[in-house]
Amino acid sequence: MLDYVISKYNFWIYIILMMIGLYAMIGKKNLVKKLIGMNVFQSAIILFYVSIGVKAGATVPILSGHGHGHEAIDVASYINPLPHVLMLTAIVVSIATTGIALATLILIYRKYNTLEEDEILKIRKETGA
Amino acid sequence: MKVIALIAVIMTGALLIYGVEDMPGWGDPNSPASSYVSPQYIQEATEKTATPNIVTAVLADYRSYDTMGETVVVFTAAIGCILMLRKKRNGEGG
Amino acid sequence: MIWQLDLILCLFIIICAIAAINVKDLLAAVIILGAYSFFMCLLWTEMGAVDVAFTEASVGAGVGTVLFIAAVSKTKRRSKD
Repeated sequence: MLDYVISKYNFWIYIILMMIGLYAMIGKKNLVKKLIGMNVFQSAIILFYVSIGVKAGATVPILSGHGHGHEAIDVASYINPLPHVLMLTAIVVSIATTGIALATLILIYRKYNTLEEDEILKIRKETGA
Repeated sequence: MKVIALIAVIMTGALLIYGVEDMPGWGDPNSPASSYVSPQYIQEATEKTATPNIVTAVLADYRSYDTMGETVVVFTAAIGCILMLRKKRNGEGG
Repeated sequence: MIWQLDLILCLFIIICAIAAINVKDLLAAVIILGAYSFFMCLLWTEMGAVDVAFTEASVGAGVGTVLFIAAVSKTKRRSKD
């Protein structure tokens, strides 16, 4: 049982972080808190992708040779580079979405003068908008 | 509200834990993620692109259209932020 | 893999995540999120993903925190939950 838990510990970490982020997105009333939860969630997904590319006993995917040798390269001694590439893109896109979300948040604050979800809903109900 | 959120989160976590059953173990060199296209990248990247760093080779050479699309995304986000946060002049909507 | 380092980093990451969503002061929450991002990038360095760690340290922890601080300084700092 303990062996099973330890052999897949990266998945437990990512599940815990994902649950924290999801709870912040659903349960918290403040909009900045929701956004922080979204960031935690995204980091958890990226952690999941990075951790499935790990090979035990392998090194970083940078070849130390001269680059034009024809010797055979042992695949098992280099970490899988493909998840890293995809996650580089994902990090930059996540920052872009965060920027857009923060701009929207500033607009909401200018209009309603608050960032609490329930107060915004109350104001919208009172003004009939 | 908080109780509903907690229940939803715990149910999602239970589903994910159920899904972990089928995932490969930590550091498995023969996991599905590292057995189809990535050995080819590791073996051929240096020879074909003359870049020792495989991640950079794949990012900017094999998948350069992907990276170009990423810059388009960042550009769109920047333009969107500027359009949303600019100061409005008198009599101009938007 | 150095399992002691891994364990400490995972512990700090989970503590930072829980603290970031529970602190009432939004500026403090944002700074804790930056610390969370840096711990995350340490964990990725330890997993061998150096390029991802570079990008996260510069973009995720640097630019992201700056954007969050700018937004919080333009809006309210107090939060109810």
